Amino acid sequence: MSKMNIRSIWNAVASVALKEFLHVWRDKRILALIIILPPFFTLLFGHAFEGTELTGVPAVIVDRDGTEQSKKLVEHLGKKKTFAWTKLGDASGDPDLLRLRASAALVIPKDWTSTLEAGTPVPLKLFLDGTDATSADELEGRLREMLGEFQGQDDVQELTVKPLFEELPPEVFDALKAVTPESRAKLKVEFQKLVKPWQPETRILYNPGLRFIDFVTPGIIGLILQLLTVTLMACTIAREREAGTLAQLIVTPLRRMEIVIGKVLPYLGISLFLIGVTIGVAHFHFGVHFRQPFMLGIICLLFLLCSLGSGLLISAFCHTQTQAIQFAVFYLLPVFPLSGAFAPIERLPAGVRLVSDVFPLTHFCEAFRMASLRNADFSFFAGDLLFLAVGAIVTCGGAAWILNRTDA
Amino acid sequence: MPDPIIVLENLRKAYGATIAANDLNLSIPRGEIFGFLGANGAGKTTTIRMLCGLTRPTSGHGFIDGLDVWTDRYRIRSKFGYVAQKFSLYPDLTVTENLAFFGGAFRVPRGELGARIETLLAQMDLVGKRDAMAGSLSGGMKQLLALACALVHDPPLLFLDEPTSGLDPVHRQQLWNLLYNLGHAGTTIFVTTHYMDEAERCTEVGFVREGRLLVKETPRRLKASFKSKLLELEVDPVMPALAAFRSAPGVLDATLRSGHARIYAADPESLLREWQREWPFPELKWIHHAWVEPDMEDVFKAWSQGYTQLFDSTAS
Repeated sequence: MSKMNIRSIWNAVASVALKEFLHVWRDKRILALIIILPPFFTLLFGHAFEGTELTGVPAVIVDRDGTEQSKKLVEHLGKKKTFAWTKLGDASGDPDLLRLRASAALVIPKDWTSTLEAGTPVPLKLFLDGTDATSADELEGRLREMLGEFQGQDDVQELTVKPLFEELPPEVFDALKAVTPESRAKLKVEFQKLVKPWQPETRILYNPGLRFIDFVTPGIIGLILQLLTVTLMACTIAREREAGTLAQLIVTPLRRMEIVIGKVLPYLGISLFLIGVTIGVAHFHFGVHFRQPFMLGIICLLFLLCSLGSGLLISAFCHTQTQAIQFAVFYLLPVFPLSGAFAPIERLPAGVRLVSDVFPLTHFCEAFRMASLRNADFSFFAGDLLFLAVGAIVTCGGAAWILNRTDA
Repeated sequence: MPDPIIVLENLRKAYGATIAANDLNLSIPRGEIFGFLGANGAGKTTTIRMLCGLTRPTSGHGFIDGLDVWTDRYRIRSKFGYVAQKFSLYPDLTVTENLAFFGGAFRVPRGELGARIETLLAQMDLVGKRDAMAGSLSGGMKQLLALACALVHDPPLLFLDEPTSGLDPVHRQQLWNLLYNLGHAGTTIFVTTHYMDEAERCTEVGFVREGRLLVKETPRRLKASFKSKLLELEVDPVMPALAAFRSAPGVLDATLRSGHARIYAADPESLLREWQREWPFPELKWIHHAWVEPDMEDVFKAWSQGYTQLFDSTAS
């Protein structure tokens, strides 16, 4: 391609880009939205997901046993902040959570202590509001943890282990005297294995603070950018088609690709600026650290191209702006829950994950977390980058192709 | 005909069962102002859109400067300017920004664009509005700006789709003066219109009805193609008279012209004799009758309604 030709293409692309930039620049409402939304959403989502620990959950405790032991349990549970317990006098039947305005209820059954001592304990009864399944799971886990702690206390252990020994027949003790020290040691190990819970020593890698904000930051950045790029871009060609300017644009000698690139460029510039703002907020306000800045730049660029391309594809395909916005909404809707922006994608069933793999945001989050959170090397996210690059080419090329085929 | 700039060969466009352009054959020489006339929905806009490469012909061919309007559409785009029926510039860009954008899109060299924009602004009387948003201009000024944008690359051919509809008489006059000057300077102009006074100004006009080109002639010869003058009656009251005449035997149609009823009839002379012998409308008062020369409006009426009985069959 000659120098003159490249210059002529650049001039043509620049004309379209300038025009497209002026459309955004002149629309003060949209401009305000673009500038305010990303930092605002980052703050909002950031704080929303900063600490997910449940505290002060309204709960009810019913002590039908009323012994020293059950009182100790109630006292122990009261020390933890997870639940805000309300003691309830003995009411028969299952507690009505809705009427009690509580999310959980724990019932200590009658004769709990005595059955415990007898070695055949009646189980505690826990009632949970399952409307929000995740919270219910977490509350159950918390309560099990507390009960475990309670059980581990010396006086309680004595209470449960003592009867066990008392009931052993005397022959056992005689037999034990006869065992050699070696087998006694062995027996001790076996016994400990039975009694002690299997407890691993945990060391957390990659996100040692276990801060959810570090995990969710790429999700926030990606989500905001996805939202803005797809909706803004979806309107560009559809708006021109609706206003009749597309015909005017098509009778010019502009090539389809020059129109597509010219339209994408200003939005790409704006989006990159917005990513900078969002990263700034995440870093300075939430203290999120970003590693491999160069790689993150590449990931963001490819993601934006792919995202702008999908918007453009919707735009080329739709006849009016209204249609384009509706399509954009329906495209964006499944992206939120399925892309792994806020919740680990591993929680989704395998079949649904195939759908997740179609969304650029999924690959953006994966690659971003690999590079920034895990400081992984390029080979770990090369596949995601390849997907985004192919996506950018396919969507932009597709938009140009549709533009070429349909009547303006 | 030496070196026509536009040639249509059996050009057809069908939308399902509807045929918007039905095997059009046409040849337009360079430098002509060609008026493309027809009722709404006759296929004028579809034809222009095919010529501009905006929609694909179903069959047949169109050529501009010897290049196919569809397969060579990227190569011919620098050769013409197009002003659409609907205002289609960017309302949120200023007058000069619109011109600069189209200049860039038409690959007008950067060095020449500034001077070109100044010339056009002066020509269109838009110098004072250069920094106004295109959307804030009056209808007439918008149309002048659209024309300026279509001319930014100084094309040898210009397509205008009803450029004056909705304009006041002053802007209509201004626009036509500009078109005349362009035509005089050698630009070929292909224009559709509903205004018959505008049709009079064209070097040639073509009538299209239901997608078919019925005739292509100079306005003078079209008017001369009527086999006789037209009968005009002065009656009182005139409005009920029009309805009465329309349902009378031997009358094709009757229209109101300057307070008189103009009658289209296959044989107006015998009709007049008959009515003079026995006036069939006792409720109407006969005042006067006259024979008038047909004008372009009569030509349009006759062609668009298909009153071929009015024409002199021996002439063409």
